[in-house]
Amino acid sequence: MKLRDVLFIALIIFVTFILLIPTLLGSIGATPPGDLRNIAKLYLYLTYNIFNKSFWTASPEAVTAIVWDYRGLDTLYETIVFYTAIIAALMLYSEILGQRDVVGGIGLSFIVKRGFSIALLAIIAVGFSTVLHGMLTPGGGFQGGAIVAVAPVIALIVFSRKLFDYSKLSYRLLVALRSLALTGIVLVPLIPLALTLGNGFIFQNQVKTLARFSYPSTIIDVPMGGSLLLLNLFEGIAVFTAFMLAFIVLLYSEDLSKKPLEGEDIGY
Amino acid sequence: MRRLLKAIAPSIFVFFIYIVYSGNITLFDIVTGLVIAIATGVILGPLVVEDWKKSLSLPRFFKLVTYIARYFLIDEVKAHWNVIKIGLNPRMPIKPGIVRVPIRSKNEYAITLVAISITNTPGTVVVDVDKERGILYVNWIYVVNEKPDITYKEIAEVFDRYASKIFD
Repeated sequence: MKLRDVLFIALIIFVTFILLIPTLLGSIGATPPGDLRNIAKLYLYLTYNIFNKSFWTASPEAVTAIVWDYRGLDTLYETIVFYTAIIAALMLYSEILGQRDVVGGIGLSFIVKRGFSIALLAIIAVGFSTVLHGMLTPGGGFQGGAIVAVAPVIALIVFSRKLFDYSKLSYRLLVALRSLALTGIVLVPLIPLALTLGNGFIFQNQVKTLARFSYPSTIIDVPMGGSLLLLNLFEGIAVFTAFMLAFIVLLYSEDLSKKPLEGEDIGY
Repeated sequence: MRRLLKAIAPSIFVFFIYIVYSGNITLFDIVTGLVIAIATGVILGPLVVEDWKKSLSLPRFFKLVTYIARYFLIDEVKAHWNVIKIGLNPRMPIKPGIVRVPIRSKNEYAITLVAISITNTPGTVVVDVDKERGILYVNWIYVVNEKPDITYKEIAEVFDRYASKIFD
């Protein structure tokens, strides 16, 4: 055995020990307590309590209930931040938005195209299932929207952007879809207020003692979570279109994407 | 009309994945699954399906199921066993090289299936495809012989036979 091999083995053992010692000595930290804290108990007790519906959300999934109901306003503002970020990114490229790219690529080899076109179907099925089961399982609008967005992002590379430049899913349609979805997100919390002539609450989901408005608590044969399903659906569409728009802009060819930057070298 | 016929097979596939991933069969899953499946099928059908008659042929589908079972239970096991023997042998008896493998499948899906099957078995990797001449270039861990008929028999014959029955 060469000296080099011996040193290499010694190095591996040394690194393993260096990582092992702090792990064993307590960088794991104190283990979390086995009993639930009061706030967790409260949410678990209230979220889907069919015997005490005064604060329930009609959704068995407590995390979704917290995200879109108990602290729905917080999520609404998060959505607005994401919305603004994408709009700002698109504005930088406002000169070339919606244009067909000058380079007409043919994409990757047919093996990748054929393999991916089957994966494409599966990605979309999984994404929409995540969106539509947000009130039943861990998941929801953002997660599902991000999964569905993977499909067009890979398709942009595999089939080349020609597929999108010449398809009906144009830039304008995507912006319109996104705006509609965001309008939906704004309207769902306001509908209780409008329908009860001001006697409801913003972001009201189920019936309260003071306000009689309620979104339906079941859809077909599963708990619907009232507004949660609608908000998840709109958020899913908004996130999917946002990612797709961002990548359509990012993946412009160099010739075209240099256009908005013209003059940067002399300080324009 | 042709667009709708092309949509059927992808729709069934999307519906199947949707139900399996959801892990439930309530009426809600079936209704939402159908909506998503039909919409996806109609939009993406022309991209995925070339010939709708082939896509709906049951004999081809059962051939595909048999092939998948055979591939994972027999061909994969054999290939793994060979590579394990090479890996555990202290003399490391390898003789790597890139060989030409002629195949008879013509359809893009069929060639894709052959290429993926070869790459997924340990010991062989497809590095390039010549679609017009029907040749795969395969990086082989132990080149027994460079002659095309022998490489075909050793590497691709089973996959090619099934692939052309399923897709051609």
